[in-house]
Amino acid sequence: MRLEKCWFCSSTVYPGHGIQFVRNDAKIFRFCRSKCHKNFKMKRNPRKVKWTKAYRRLHGKDMTQDSTFEFERKRNRPERYDRNLAENTLKAIKKIDKIISDRASDHIKNRLKTGKVQRQKEARKQLELGIHLVKAPLALAQDSSLCLPKIKVNVSQAQTEENQPMED
Amino acid sequence: MWQFPVSDQVPQISGNRQACGNRFDKQQRTFIQMRTVLKVVDNSGAKKVMCIQALKGKKGARLGDTIIASVKEAMPNGKVKKGKVVYGVVVRAAMQRGRCDGSEVKFDDNAVVLVDKQGQPIGTRVFGPVPHELRQKKHVKILTLAEHIA
Repeated sequence: MRLEKCWFCSSTVYPGHGIQFVRNDAKIFRFCRSKCHKNFKMKRNPRKVKWTKAYRRLHGKDMTQDSTFEFERKRNRPERYDRNLAENTLKAIKKIDKIISDRASDHIKNRLKTGKVQRQKEARKQLELGIHLVKAPLALAQDSSLCLPKIKVNVSQAQTEENQPMED
Repeated sequence: MWQFPVSDQVPQISGNRQACGNRFDKQQRTFIQMRTVLKVVDNSGAKKVMCIQALKGKKGARLGDTIIASVKEAMPNGKVKKGKVVYGVVVRAAMQRGRCDGSEVKFDDNAVVLVDKQGQPIGTRVFGPVPHELRQKKHVKILTLAEHIA
């Protein structure tokens, strides 16, 4: 039993799912569902179709290089069955899955950070400029609860003269 | 007052386009039955055969089944001549066939390998990919001659 990748969207094809198309030049195309199969028949290029993994990797939306991808490399040599190895592999798969998904979500978060900062800046500017839409400026001046209270600080001249020689 | 566009105002061109689209993606591949022309992918001499009977199967033959066919087109000097009635094993079918693991396989065209009554191939070479369903049908000789097993 082997988990294949869909040729169009790069999702995993589990056993019992999907269609395998064998072209006359002996190239095998596996599809996870009829959506991908129909897109293939329409001769669409997966690198141009926005929801496929190929497009996302090509346009830097998802992470492309990571050491965890080494674990998913296709191996053609069958391993001799070893119970310990199988047990450890199953445990490792769970952990690696979590690591991969964490790293992928971090990548996306970093990518979206600049946009978020930009939007907050614009929002703040808009608020400053258009505060008259929210509350009339006369009301702002009169109502002291909306503005930060102005703190009066008493600065005595004698103290500043004393401090100056100490700074030197 | 703005009104919703009435359906009979829709131009005829879009209607035609939609009909063409439907015809394209509803192409259903079916069985190999009488009058189906198949490609011959061995070097027995024939190029095209027409199925006259699908042995086994009420609706027709599928991937891996045997058929009786009549040679419609042949190479000038080959083992089989035009008009001869031969047996053939379907090695590639455009209709998808279910595999035992639940997935489905389909090929690009309908192709056949000519065999004799005992099931031994007439030709000595087989071109193109063949499915490993042939192993279950006991056509091992064709599998050994094949250049690629799908």
